[in-house]
Amino acid sequence: MANNNNQILNYLRNRELLVLAVALTVFFSVTSQRFLTLSNINNILMNVSISGILALGLALIMINGDFDLSFASAMGLLNLISLIFIDKGLSIWIMFPLAILGGVLWGTMNAFFVVVLRMHAFVATIATWTLCRGLIYWINKAKTFYGYYPDIMTVIGRGTIFGFIPISAIIFIIAAIIIYLVANRSKFGRYIYAVGSNPDAAEYVGINSKRIRFVCYMLQGFLIGLASVILSSRLCSGPATAGEGFQMTVISSAFLGATVFKPGLVNIGGSILAIFLLSIIENGQVMLSVPFYFKYIIQGLIILGAVAFISLKNKRSEGPAIV
Amino acid sequence: MTTKEIIISTKNINKSFGATHAVVNLDINIEKGDIMGLVGENGAGKSTLIKLLGGEHTVDSGQIIYENMPVSWKSSAEALKKGIAIVHQHPLLVSSLGAAENIFLGKEFVQGFFVDNPKGIEEATKLIKQYPIYADLDLEKPAREMSAGEKEVVEILKALSYEPEILILDEPTASLPKDETETLLKLLTEINRTKHITIIYISHKLEEAFEICNKITVMRNGKNIGTLAKDNFDKDKLVKMMINQDISEFYPDKTTKTGKILLEAHNLNTNILRDVSINVREGEILGLYGLMGAGMTELVESIYGLRTLKSGKISVNSKAIEHPQVEMMIRNGVFLIPADRHQYGLFPSFTVSENITIAHLFSLFQEFLIKRSRENQAATEQAKRVNLKYADINQSVMELSGGNQQKTIVARWLLQECGILIVDDPTVGIDIGAKRDIYKILRELTSRNKGIIFISSEINEIIGMADRIYTMRRGKITAELKQEDINQENILKNIL
Repeated sequence: MANNNNQILNYLRNRELLVLAVALTVFFSVTSQRFLTLSNINNILMNVSISGILALGLALIMINGDFDLSFASAMGLLNLISLIFIDKGLSIWIMFPLAILGGVLWGTMNAFFVVVLRMHAFVATIATWTLCRGLIYWINKAKTFYGYYPDIMTVIGRGTIFGFIPISAIIFIIAAIIIYLVANRSKFGRYIYAVGSNPDAAEYVGINSKRIRFVCYMLQGFLIGLASVILSSRLCSGPATAGEGFQMTVISSAFLGATVFKPGLVNIGGSILAIFLLSIIENGQVMLSVPFYFKYIIQGLIILGAVAFISLKNKRSEGPAIV
Repeated sequence: MTTKEIIISTKNINKSFGATHAVVNLDINIEKGDIMGLVGENGAGKSTLIKLLGGEHTVDSGQIIYENMPVSWKSSAEALKKGIAIVHQHPLLVSSLGAAENIFLGKEFVQGFFVDNPKGIEEATKLIKQYPIYADLDLEKPAREMSAGEKEVVEILKALSYEPEILILDEPTASLPKDETETLLKLLTEINRTKHITIIYISHKLEEAFEICNKITVMRNGKNIGTLAKDNFDKDKLVKMMINQDISEFYPDKTTKTGKILLEAHNLNTNILRDVSINVREGEILGLYGLMGAGMTELVESIYGLRTLKSGKISVNSKAIEHPQVEMMIRNGVFLIPADRHQYGLFPSFTVSENITIAHLFSLFQEFLIKRSRENQAATEQAKRVNLKYADINQSVMELSGGNQQKTIVARWLLQECGILIVDDPTVGIDIGAKRDIYKILRELTSRNKGIIFISSEINEIIGMADRIYTMRRGKITAELKQEDINQENILKNIL
């Protein structure tokens, strides 16, 4: 019996966040009757599909020590451009792949500044973020863009199978499984963690760290493009602020995710768990009719708490500080 | 027999950390005015002993007697006030502050509310003037721009500013180049001679201890093994006391036969190298030796593809390699173990297993995904080969000791059969036991016709290990010494 207990405790070590997610789910289910309903689960899944895909991309580049602040606005820009062209009559079968390609190009641009020109990732992507916002306001004249779209347009963003599993959530889950396997189980993934752990040592074992970092930015760009497709299909409109709401949630997820599985290190599994947890918290707040500004207060506290946890953990084990 | 008075001694002291008995029933007497060397393998208890003397730890049992009074320090600050100053291995300077500010950190001269900087510099100048070898030390240069030797000197001056009776130094020369080491040793003799300060000097470098100490005490497994006085200094005897084994068994036998040429570099030129040509044969350890900065590391890194060649040719197994790149060299069986294992070797967030397999994932796994069980099995085999001490192959590599971290990196490069193994100062900072393990592994490789390029910063090590030596000076090869010509005189003649 004691042995059994030990096994459970051992399993839960480094998985505190999992306990928190379960506890919160129980809490919201008890306090709000609407929380554990099919339509609300559907809500959460819808919500997590876009932020989740963005979180996967951010985690990928953060593992090898890079960063990006521009992803949410880049998604907003791609959304706007897609809507304009589809309104003008371009088929979604052409436009959506083009939007994903646009995302890859965006990632390539960030990679050029950060990896090739060796600019500080924070500074470079603040610049590309600002640039992107400017482009959005210029294109839609600071007004929300509306257009006419074919019926099939909304399938990816709003469609479900069996009436309650969102197609967008299935896309996210497939992406999550693939990225998880690549990062945690493949040779390429091991190289990403190696570059993040010690870029100099990586060169000595024949890993081209610049190439790895560049490819990760491109993969992140691909995921930004994919998220923009879901966004376009769901919103069918191009507000100037499209995407902005996701920025802090996604950044929070990376830090919060760094508290589990590989404590102190940004990791894919942690990011996936964290983005679910953040969506549950956000949704629970709505269910309990908590005022909207609490969302920001709680998010701020989560980032502070997570980073404090990570630095304490790193200090104790004298491992590397990634944050 | 002696008329000198004893300044500090210990009676039967013990200190344990968990299950580790760091200091065991230790008696030691230190006479006033001595420079006493304290030597022993890593983990012999030297650092613990000085921390006990300096109030950083407290004894579990036994007594410390200082100036004829039993003492039990409450803190290192108290010990410092009473005259025992410790200079630690790694300088702890504030990198943005200058020498004077660092020396008087925490006891600044003030004028009203403000720090009186000119006064600090004046006092620091007074302090430094007593030691003419450092007369040109720039007291306002921030610590981050200082050389390793300058930092060490500032640390020592900082300790001296407390006017101690005993100055304890923990491997002060460990990271210093030869010229800075020599000046530092002169400084220590000066301090001892002019101020009659007793010095306790911990070092792994026996030659240095011979040069400045008048006594050397050996520790092993937390015990005091014995003390040699200056007239009896003898390296063989000391090493035997340290490792409880004869020195003749220290370096393995040299090679008797060599085979065909494995690697050839012809007229290499880089920013540092000038027309360097070398070759390595099957079954030999080729030594590269020179003063720090003579270009040995640059040479092997150029061959390994880490630096750009201006001109020159490299061939491996008679096959020309056009533009060497690390990945390509690894595929051709040329492996390199870098000198600075922390910066260029270890992946601190990886497990022991992941650190061992990282260079060979492509040959270990043809498939896309890594199989953990196969990875751990391959890592465990190599860990056994290098006699690695670890608890779990999946534990973090940072939990291992320095010597075992170095062995982890050696294990990494044994996982695949190498053609040529380049080792850049592989034994720096590790204890004698781990050194011997590494020597044995290198000889095991040469016995199976592999070629080794061996760089060492210790002349005795290169003499003990190399079958053939190229000496270097300022980016050029100055001589090639065959086995029978390898001796200290021939080497020094060609590197200076």
